[in-house]
Amino acid sequence: MRKFIISIALTLVVAVPASAQKINLDFPGLADRAEEVVDITLDGAMLRMAAKFFSGKDADERALRDMISGLHGIYVRSYEFAREGEYDRNLPNLVKKQLGPSWMPFVTVRSKSKENVNIYANMSGERVIGLVIIAAEPREFTVVNINGPIDMDRLAALEGQFGIPEFSKEKNDE
Amino acid sequence: MNEHDLKRALRAEAPPAGFAGRVMQRIEAGETQPRPSRNAPQWWRAAAASVTLAMVLGGYATHKAVEYRRGIEAKEQVLEAMRITSEKVRYAQQEVRAIGTHD
Amino acid sequence: MVEPLAFPSTLSRAQAGDHDAFAELIERHEAMVYSIAYNFSGDRSRAEEMAQDVFLQLYRSLGSIESDAHLLFWLRQVTTRRCIDEVRRAKLKPVSLDDVELSAVEKRHDPLLDRRIRESIQSLPETQRAVVTLRYQEDLDPSEICRIVGLPVNTVKSHLHRALLALRKKLEKHS
Repeated sequence: MRKFIISIALTLVVAVPASAQKINLDFPGLADRAEEVVDITLDGAMLRMAAKFFSGKDADERALRDMISGLHGIYVRSYEFAREGEYDRNLPNLVKKQLGPSWMPFVTVRSKSKENVNIYANMSGERVIGLVIIAAEPREFTVVNINGPIDMDRLAALEGQFGIPEFSKEKNDE
Repeated sequence: MNEHDLKRALRAEAPPAGFAGRVMQRIEAGETQPRPSRNAPQWWRAAAASVTLAMVLGGYATHKAVEYRRGIEAKEQVLEAMRITSEKVRYAQQEVRAIGTHD
Repeated sequence: MVEPLAFPSTLSRAQAGDHDAFAELIERHEAMVYSIAYNFSGDRSRAEEMAQDVFLQLYRSLGSIESDAHLLFWLRQVTTRRCIDEVRRAKLKPVSLDDVELSAVEKRHDPLLDRRIRESIQSLPETQRAVVTLRYQEDLDPSEICRIVGLPVNTVKSHLHRALLALRKKLEKHS
């Protein structure tokens, strides 16, 4: 019976529509105070359009194209400020509060002097169907929301490509 | 490298002498259309010579040019998004690894 | 009191069909147009071709120019967009600084920082190239650049930021 209930719960998670996984990344007034801003909003249609412009002959571009083709959206907001204290340090909590029970903390890094990073994965069984990264530094605040099935192995396989730095967990270059 | 270096490196310089004269020669010769791009495929060169065909295709060409530009911009944004994502994930991974080696 | 006659501007004389006046406009703006094209492409003959084509296009579009300020904006926008389109049509991969053959003299001692900066800029993706050129050659701020390249101002700021990071990395690597 217990096994049956767990199965139902997983099924319900799978049935959650893609739009429900999109996080509100609207931070009024933050861009005006920032010195540098990255603001990327790519919905499914834009991602499919972008995928056409990745070369099918280049292995690296093909890998990235395959990765983004199944996604429903990629959203990035990154703000860099001239001085510390220019943004509300409670902003990461406002983002976290939007994450429902299917979101699992993946990695949490806390540092007083460097960067706090929280990575959350939206799980459907063993599949990752969404990713939220919240990075807060004294002078920079970044949120990334990727909506859709993510192959973490493929993400790791983008090492050293397109300016993407090495990621492999197997390597120990320390 | 600082802003001063960039401004100095990118300071405007005059084109080769006689530039204005060469432009005026083309205008006075009735050549007011720009040369077709050296990168244009052969069939476009023929189309460019025909005003009627150019007018008919003008709207379609504009639409395709806009679509092309949007697609390229979207690709650049994907690359930037993935760069930022990987940067943050890598940082987190390094910190986790560092903690592990201090245990 | 008799008001002095207002002498028609060079622009309005050119618009009235005065070829000498149009030649004056070319001479006034040729350095700006040519330099955007050259700083973008790194190729003097291509830069001259593009610059000539911009002024031919101006000749055809003179009637739509409303003022000297509008003319300046128009020239910057048309030149920049032509440069970007030219690169995309050619599907040119940005030249990697690694591929640029340095002379034997430069490998031993390279005081030519300006040239290395220009070559580094020419290895950037086309939109970043355009934004850096408009910012540092024309001294425009992001709110002016965004109108020329047709992108939101935050996107322009982002391109500028990434371009400067990339340039610093490239120059450090090759110093």
